[in-house]
Amino acid sequence: MIRHTARAIAQYTLVLLGAIVLNFALPRLAPGNPIDFLLPPEQAGILTPMQRQQALSQFGLDQPIPVQFARYLGGLTRGDLLYSVRYGRPVRDLIAERLPWTLLLVGTAIALATLIGTLLGFRSAWRRGTAEDIAYLSLVILADSLPVFFVGMMLILVFAVQLGLFPIYGAVPTTTATGVAFVVAVGKRLTLPLATLTLASIGPIYLVARSALMSELQEDYVLMAEAKGLDRRGVRRHAQRNALLPLWTVALLNLGTLVGGATIVETVFSYPGLGRLIYQSVIARDYPVLQGTFLLLSVSVIAANFIADVAYPLLDPRVRRPVGVSA
Amino acid sequence: MNTLPTIVGGAGAARTAGATATSRWWLTRWLRAGRVLGWLGAALLVLFIGMAVLAPVLAGHSPRVASGLPYEEPTANHLLGTDDLGVDIFAALLYGARITLAVGVLSALFGVGVGLTVALLAGYFRGAVEVVLMRTVDFTLSFPFLPLVILLATFLGRGFLTTVLVIAGVIWARPARVMRAQVLKVREFGHVAAARAMGAPTPYILSRHVLPRVTPLAIAQFVRAAHVAVFIEASLAFLGLGDPNGQSWGTMLFFANSHNAFLTDAWRWWILPPGLALAATVLGFAFVGYALEEWADPRLARAARPARPASRFRRSKEAVSVPLPLPSESVSSVLEVRDLRVRYDTPADPLDAVDGVSFAIGPRRVVGLVGESGCGKSSLSMALLRLLRPPGHLAGGAVVLDGCDLASLSTPAMARVRGRQISLVPQSAMNALNPAYSVHRQVREAAALTRNRAEAATRAHELLDLVGIPAARHGAYPHELSGGMRQRVVIAMAIANEPSLLIADEPLTGLDVVTQEHILQLLLDLRDRFGMAILLISHDLPVVGRIADDLLVMYAGRIVESGPAAQVMHDPHHPYTRALLRAFPSVRGPQQVLASIPGEPPDLLHPPCGCRYHPRCAEAFDACSRVNPPLFEPIAGHYAACLLEKR
Repeated sequence: MIRHTARAIAQYTLVLLGAIVLNFALPRLAPGNPIDFLLPPEQAGILTPMQRQQALSQFGLDQPIPVQFARYLGGLTRGDLLYSVRYGRPVRDLIAERLPWTLLLVGTAIALATLIGTLLGFRSAWRRGTAEDIAYLSLVILADSLPVFFVGMMLILVFAVQLGLFPIYGAVPTTTATGVAFVVAVGKRLTLPLATLTLASIGPIYLVARSALMSELQEDYVLMAEAKGLDRRGVRRHAQRNALLPLWTVALLNLGTLVGGATIVETVFSYPGLGRLIYQSVIARDYPVLQGTFLLLSVSVIAANFIADVAYPLLDPRVRRPVGVSA
Repeated sequence: MNTLPTIVGGAGAARTAGATATSRWWLTRWLRAGRVLGWLGAALLVLFIGMAVLAPVLAGHSPRVASGLPYEEPTANHLLGTDDLGVDIFAALLYGARITLAVGVLSALFGVGVGLTVALLAGYFRGAVEVVLMRTVDFTLSFPFLPLVILLATFLGRGFLTTVLVIAGVIWARPARVMRAQVLKVREFGHVAAARAMGAPTPYILSRHVLPRVTPLAIAQFVRAAHVAVFIEASLAFLGLGDPNGQSWGTMLFFANSHNAFLTDAWRWWILPPGLALAATVLGFAFVGYALEEWADPRLARAARPARPASRFRRSKEAVSVPLPLPSESVSSVLEVRDLRVRYDTPADPLDAVDGVSFAIGPRRVVGLVGESGCGKSSLSMALLRLLRPPGHLAGGAVVLDGCDLASLSTPAMARVRGRQISLVPQSAMNALNPAYSVHRQVREAAALTRNRAEAATRAHELLDLVGIPAARHGAYPHELSGGMRQRVVIAMAIANEPSLLIADEPLTGLDVVTQEHILQLLLDLRDRFGMAILLISHDLPVVGRIADDLLVMYAGRIVESGPAAQVMHDPHHPYTRALLRAFPSVRGPQQVLASIPGEPPDLLHPPCGCRYHPRCAEAFDACSRVNPPLFEPIAGHYAACLLEKR
């Protein structure tokens, strides 16, 4: 258990380091002058060689690489993520503004996708081979294959434009609503992005839930549960308790996919989260913002992987309580 | 001594028509659907590839230069209207297929190429090479892939080749991991291991032996990778990171979205066609991918075999109509089994693992059921409990427990009989406990069937005490107990509601001799205490013969000899029983040469004619291969299905 944790820490620290180094190296290895990635494009284009040199030393880019790296690391430990080219503000502040919306969207989506995916997957496994199972399976494969933004666009078309049920843009109402009205307005604006993201991320959860329960149902203890006289509900509870184990991992690993999906969904719905910030930064070639958001997303996903890896044993008594006596 | 009525074995009994038709209906349908989907996917891909190749012929307009006014509605000239710059959307759609497909296919080729190389190197060389490579795979998989692709694409600049390389650089890891597992498997195949042992050069082994075995999987992985690559390219393009020199479908959607094409009617020809084309392409790759994966790994197809947990038990019409007159002398029987038939639906013919078996068990009696593996003992015990797993099912006969025919009960009614009147100590009792719950909880669950929660908790402690689990271990999880202890817990669960019949299916397997003795003694004590009957199933005739009151000897789905245990042991009448006895060493009796039985139990799909034992029987004569022997009764209460007894 301790060895496992230590190994996981070592492994994920390495990955984290990789993300940090990648972030440092990209502007310096990419074609062109690193200064081009730190100034607004229209400014960088008209700099005289003299001004260029000045800018380089201003950003410390004329220093030897190890010194630059040390400074970069030092900045990171203080939470310092450079300045946005487009907004002229610290990247940290920009992220702090957008993060709550992404957390709301991704958090709710991951909860919903896990819940719905598990319920459908278990039901499919329990009714394996029936028309119902095959219907769910086909629908999930279909939903998994549709590009996220296309699903989002179609939902906008049907529910916002044609039926006029939901507002399309943003996360908060333009009018000054307060209290319950505000919450309702936020909820209404959350609905379609949430539906899109949930639909796009149910697939892996459903498939794992289905196959995990199917394999548990083959186990001897399920037979015994049935033989000792439990009804269907009792038998199901036995199998499901164990089928939930792999789902914990999948739900957490799904975060990586969801974060990517959120980038697209927020762009389609103009939802003011990190994803939209990424999109705007791509359009404006706002490299520092891109680096900052990438770093944050990587850290979150790596942290989720780490938690999945380290906490898994706690769910399984066989690992939690190592063997006392043996035959 | 009325426990074994004269019932003739399965001789000549008409095979009941099994209701097997519906069981495989969905399976075949789904498999056919899988293949159909594969072809449908292939058709979609061919369609789009055709569009891409024939774009210059079909388009009629340039995909870049304005050929009309902005936002023209569809006309004969502009089939899908024009965009904000007056560019023909139909032409853009056709040329867009080129970029979308080219990026998808090339990225997948690069990605799977790298993945395959990594898989071959890691899987074949093992050791440090593998550690480094697989850590790199883990490393790559740990990143949120879309943000990573976005970052790389932004810094490296937009462009066709950049996009391809960036996508390939992200997607190679998953196929590498999947294919490495396959390489590891192939590496251990006999002929590959032999080639290695003979010192064949590594490149030769890899290219001649390993690669061909991995290729089907690599092809399936390629299609899957292409699916992902098209997806990523579309996402990148949708975020404005597409190839600036040509519009892919994603790029078209990027422009449509940023020009608010929803708000006007333009969405019908500007958003729908590229969106649907993209969805259809991704779906096409997905369908072909699923079909290929099934082809590369036939286990998937087999795993698709449907189970019927809802109704594990199907009765043929004939089984219902079997009249069941209870002979007057067996009114006191706990269990009466009449002409029981257990059938497994196989792709070829149905196989009867239990072929017309009849017997009875009196109250408080221990009945041993012995025979080699595969002779139908376990199928029989599962049938008694109606716990046969598909494709096995009860195809006829009656199981009368305490005067009630279990075969006629509804599924919920049968669940109420299990654990209360009839219970089981299953074959692999070691694995019969749920690893996630403490043993007390699992025993309590059984006890709670007839008690309230508090009483059940107390009762569970009593039961665990009774089977000899020290109080300190009641809260233990199954993995914390030894095999013998787990066996005791399972027994505690089985007797929680004092059933009238306990079926113990090979309860001694995997236990050392001392523990075996303890468990047997425990079973006998419990019998004395609760007065239940026990059906003890085992392949160990001497052990069972020692403690059982009566014996049933089973061979190839039929009962070949039955009678009081002492008598059968002392004076076996069936050659098979005699052979079984000779196959075990005796400590007490005179020294004998141990003799294993030549040959193997017959393949029940094609059982031998006549007596099923005759091909292995040293005493067989010509009639044995023609006549199926009924049960003779050479001594009162002792039966043997052997033509020798006729004389």
